[in-house]
Amino acid sequence: MERRLLLVNHGKQLWTRERAREIRTELIKIFEGLQPGEAGVIDCKGVEVFDYSFANELFGKTLLSLSREYPERFLLVENLTDYTRENLSKALESLGLIMIERKANKLALLGRVHPADLETFNVIAASREPLTAVALKGKLGINLTAVNERLSKLTGLALIRRQMGVSGAGRQHYTYLAPA
Amino acid sequence: MHPETSIVKLDSISFDKLMAQQDPFQGEECRIDLSGVRMITPAALVQLAVVCYALEEKARQPIIILDDSSVSTYLARAGFLAAVRPVAHIEPPLFAGFDYERLRGSNPMLIEVSKIETGSDLPPLLDHIVSVLRKRLKYPKYDAFDVATAISEVCQNTFDHNHETCGFIAMQGYGKGSKRFLEIGVGDYGNGLAETLRRNPKNPEIASDIEAIGVATKLGTSEHDDPTRGTGLYHLLEITYKHEGAVQIRSGAGKVRYRMDKRQGWTFSVPYVPGVQIALDLGTKSGRNRKKILDSAK
Repeated sequence: MERRLLLVNHGKQLWTRERAREIRTELIKIFEGLQPGEAGVIDCKGVEVFDYSFANELFGKTLLSLSREYPERFLLVENLTDYTRENLSKALESLGLIMIERKANKLALLGRVHPADLETFNVIAASREPLTAVALKGKLGINLTAVNERLSKLTGLALIRRQMGVSGAGRQHYTYLAPA
Repeated sequence: MHPETSIVKLDSISFDKLMAQQDPFQGEECRIDLSGVRMITPAALVQLAVVCYALEEKARQPIIILDDSSVSTYLARAGFLAAVRPVAHIEPPLFAGFDYERLRGSNPMLIEVSKIETGSDLPPLLDHIVSVLRKRLKYPKYDAFDVATAISEVCQNTFDHNHETCGFIAMQGYGKGSKRFLEIGVGDYGNGLAETLRRNPKNPEIASDIEAIGVATKLGTSEHDDPTRGTGLYHLLEITYKHEGAVQIRSGAGKVRYRMDKRQGWTFSVPYVPGVQIALDLGTKSGRNRKKILDSAK
């Protein structure tokens, strides 16, 4: 399940940190109602522009606190224009953050993304089933330590979720999945 | 009384010459003699407004002397006289027969000197700027958004980092078509960059106003210990660079002029004026005849 914040309800042109702060209150309410594995979606359809202060406050502040305050929930953005995507990417890059954009039912990452992290995320996002670190080791062709480092980073950035699973042999293990 | 200033065009550069000649913060007389001045740019209007309000904070009333009725009329039309009326005295007083404030917002090439006190002042102003740039000056949509974004970032600093003061903005468009360019002035009479940045112990030691400007334009440097802060002036320079414009950042007794076609900043020691003032010229890429256009506008 996911819950949406229709950003255009607050205007087509969104300026200032102060404005974003008001909207963030609404976004927090959405996150308070989410269960683990569910996503809050910021739908930017109809929004023409937001400034960097707005992006920092709404997207940046939420992402910075997401894995701590709302663990295992996802934040997605949808329906960005070329312009809003560029501004959001720059804002995220300047904050060292990465977020998930859903575009035509495919997931992509915005911000300054290391190719290794992108590769790992794409494999997890493309998988219909949650993946274990061992399965990823095989798919990525790297050693288990490197896989675990990447998974730890992506989990910390709230881009993927870690959940406890049970193997065919009955052993408990962690599996990783991206939002649907 | 001061002799004529010998300044004909008062802009963000000659403003410092005016301050050096007449420094109203020094001495007993608080006179700003604009005799001889025949043209004033938006950035200089904002700087003058800042000086007037800063003097008022020190319980002094500045007297602005004008010797040309067309300049007086322009100052009224540009919203300057209304903005400084509570704190400054104009000599000679402008004939009170016409209310120029009724014209506020009617000229698409002009944003009159406007006070910025809170974040809620900005969205209508920025929406108006976008509308003017797109519909009247035929700016491509994304260029208009860039300009408004740069202005937004700078304007927010005027109230984000200061208390019990306010900011000012003014803008004018010059030229047409491919020769158009914009000058935007934004300023405040708050604490200035050096003092503001020193409030955050994580910032490096700052020895001068010029150094403070350099530090403030670096990504992530802010008064606030908050990773989402400290991006405004950085993005201002990036947008100015993208549009090959020019920007001047003045704080206290220092200023840096960035000419973004060379991505280079020149530093100057200038007479002290409280707060931070920014002059932004955009559109110079296609408006290389800027001087010619300005001269013909006199």
